[in-house]
Amino acid sequence: MSKQINVALIGNPNTGKTSVFNALTGLNQKVGNYPGITVEKKQGVCKLPRGVKAHIIDLPGTYSLNASSLDENVVIELLLNKNDKDFPDIAVVVSDVENLKRNLLLFTQIKDLEIPTILVINMADRMRYKGISLDIEYLEEHLQTKIALISTRKNEGIDELKQLISNYKVVSVTPCLNPSNIDKTYFESLEKAFPNQSLYKLWLVITQDVNFGKTDRNEVQAIASFKTKSKADLKRLQQKETIKRYQFINNVLKKGQTIDRSQAKDLRSKLDRVLTHKIFGYLIFFIILLTIFQAIYDWAQIPMEFIDGAFASLGELTKNTLPEGAFTNLIAEGIIPGLGGIVIFIPQIAFLFLFIAVLEESGYMSRVVFLMDRVMRRFGLSGKSVVPLISGTACAIPAIMATRNIESWKERLITILVTPFTTCSARLPVYLIIIELVIPEGRFLGLGYQPLTLMLLYLIGFGTSVFSAWILNKVLKIRSKTFFVVEMPNYKLPLFKNVGLTVLEKTKSFVFGAGKIILAISIVLWFLASYGPGENFNNAENIVKTEFASQNLSQGELQQKIASHKLEHSFIGITGRAIEPAIRPLGYDWKIGIALISSFAAREVFVGTLATIYSVEDDDVDTITNRMAKDTNRITGGKLFTLASGISLLLFYAFAMQCMSTLAIVKKETNTWKWPVLQLIIMTAFAYIVALIAFQFLK
Amino acid sequence: MNTTIQNILVLITLGLALAFLVKKFFWKKSAPKKSCGGDDGCGCH
Repeated sequence: MSKQINVALIGNPNTGKTSVFNALTGLNQKVGNYPGITVEKKQGVCKLPRGVKAHIIDLPGTYSLNASSLDENVVIELLLNKNDKDFPDIAVVVSDVENLKRNLLLFTQIKDLEIPTILVINMADRMRYKGISLDIEYLEEHLQTKIALISTRKNEGIDELKQLISNYKVVSVTPCLNPSNIDKTYFESLEKAFPNQSLYKLWLVITQDVNFGKTDRNEVQAIASFKTKSKADLKRLQQKETIKRYQFINNVLKKGQTIDRSQAKDLRSKLDRVLTHKIFGYLIFFIILLTIFQAIYDWAQIPMEFIDGAFASLGELTKNTLPEGAFTNLIAEGIIPGLGGIVIFIPQIAFLFLFIAVLEESGYMSRVVFLMDRVMRRFGLSGKSVVPLISGTACAIPAIMATRNIESWKERLITILVTPFTTCSARLPVYLIIIELVIPEGRFLGLGYQPLTLMLLYLIGFGTSVFSAWILNKVLKIRSKTFFVVEMPNYKLPLFKNVGLTVLEKTKSFVFGAGKIILAISIVLWFLASYGPGENFNNAENIVKTEFASQNLSQGELQQKIASHKLEHSFIGITGRAIEPAIRPLGYDWKIGIALISSFAAREVFVGTLATIYSVEDDDVDTITNRMAKDTNRITGGKLFTLASGISLLLFYAFAMQCMSTLAIVKKETNTWKWPVLQLIIMTAFAYIVALIAFQFLK
Repeated sequence: MNTTIQNILVLITLGLALAFLVKKFFWKKSAPKKSCGGDDGCGCH
């Protein structure tokens, strides 16, 4: 009678595990469900050499033994329950030659359960395309296992695998990792409490929330002398376990695996060689950026003009339709222009996020992170800082929160402090409106001056954050180091649905997140601009009529003078004129001053504020941009928005810490007011000085 | 009459806008109460 053994096929998803199962069992397989759950159970029979028969179970794909789904629970429950009729005599871990490092994490975990474990390295036919070579003998020795190098696609190595399975008794069960290396005290106390049990098995019982049959967590906790740790501490130990395992894997692969990308012949490797090239990589990235910014301008122009005109007409329609009075004015001059100031930027913001989503979905963004890592290291930052800095182009708040995965406090603090320099989407409306006002529409080598300026502002933001990081790295005396690992996904055509959803979600959060604040601020600003104290405001009509009695002004011109006089003596006008001396050297007037203050709530409020102020001042139906373009500086008599004042304003917004929410999140992440206050003072002072120099040079 | 109603509406809208801004930027949210039912490190054991 032939002997039957249980074989468990285990592996990460997409390693070709099912192909191995099919190659071993052929048609001798059946599919059912695990009792009580809807997880598919595939099993089959395979004849092995020397008359041994194997009952093979194809277990659900899992990345590790830290279960997070029903599928993964099934794997752990089987491997920990020796009484299960399917408990394996041998575990066959299937890995993919291209992702060996990641796949080996699961291998080391299974091996530590002291089950005979064979490593199958699948897709061996891809090795020469990928420039990968393996020292199988070395790997077998250091992983203390038997390795089958196979290709299910070419049906190679299957007989050797069968041979190895049939010799399962000679496979070593020595663990890869001694649990005491994770936390000596904790595991010693665990060993003391359960002297005859596998430490790693006990560790899984404690940390995994699955049904373990005979050994359950109550039994563990029942031992009075044994004190379990809090959930947070256990999580920390789990993370430490993963780090220890990867250290072991890295050491083994350092000698056991060679990857020579220059020998790789597949399309992905060819593309990677160009896109991450130390010269062409940056050049291509630069060209892609140029194309994106040019497209943002060219494609968004028509919808923006339409929105601008539509809001101007809506304001007029409201005024003509609703009964005359303060509330009608509030809607027509406060709310509608304020909202119009933000809605107008939807097309450009949607296009920006469309391009970012396409770059992310296609797999190119990971290459950018890799490219940038090379630059960042020269400035004392870890590659992990690249992710917050790049995601800071959307918003600094989630970007600062994303620094939590930087282990080194120094690098994390530096990243938190420099991230607000990255051009966030809230700066975009400010940049766009000022660029439109002061930068000419001409082209240079087919590229518009306006998109070039916008791109330059993004580069200035990124450059300043990297340069400040370099200074902070020299100034802050904290010693520490971290490592950066990034997985390069395969290139793929972006899915329309995914890209569409990202654009929709980002645009929605931009409009509704800032929209509510802008709406509220527009209402307050309209009130402050429409009411004022004293004779100068209440008796404006008589004062203006007397002042201009000698000049033959038309009715329209007279009304305009009255509106301007009232605005100057309104609450907002008085406040604005009080701060005007401080901002006059930068080329700004009191209206810009008010916009600077109100935009401290959120940068994009700047445009809404100016839209509301101009709307109160000017009764004519016109777009925001035209109203701003027409405005004059009451001191110089010239245009308010000139190249000098425009550049000064752009630079001020590029460097100033104009965001209350960012300061709050910096306080939360650093747990002190010291850093956000320093950040506010230094960034604002720097912005002021740069804007001052720019205006004084260009005026 | 119409002027009075419009002025009242303006004041109500202004009040709502101010309340929203105060709530958004100055209102400190109270921390959610942690359950003391398990060993979650909430410090109540």
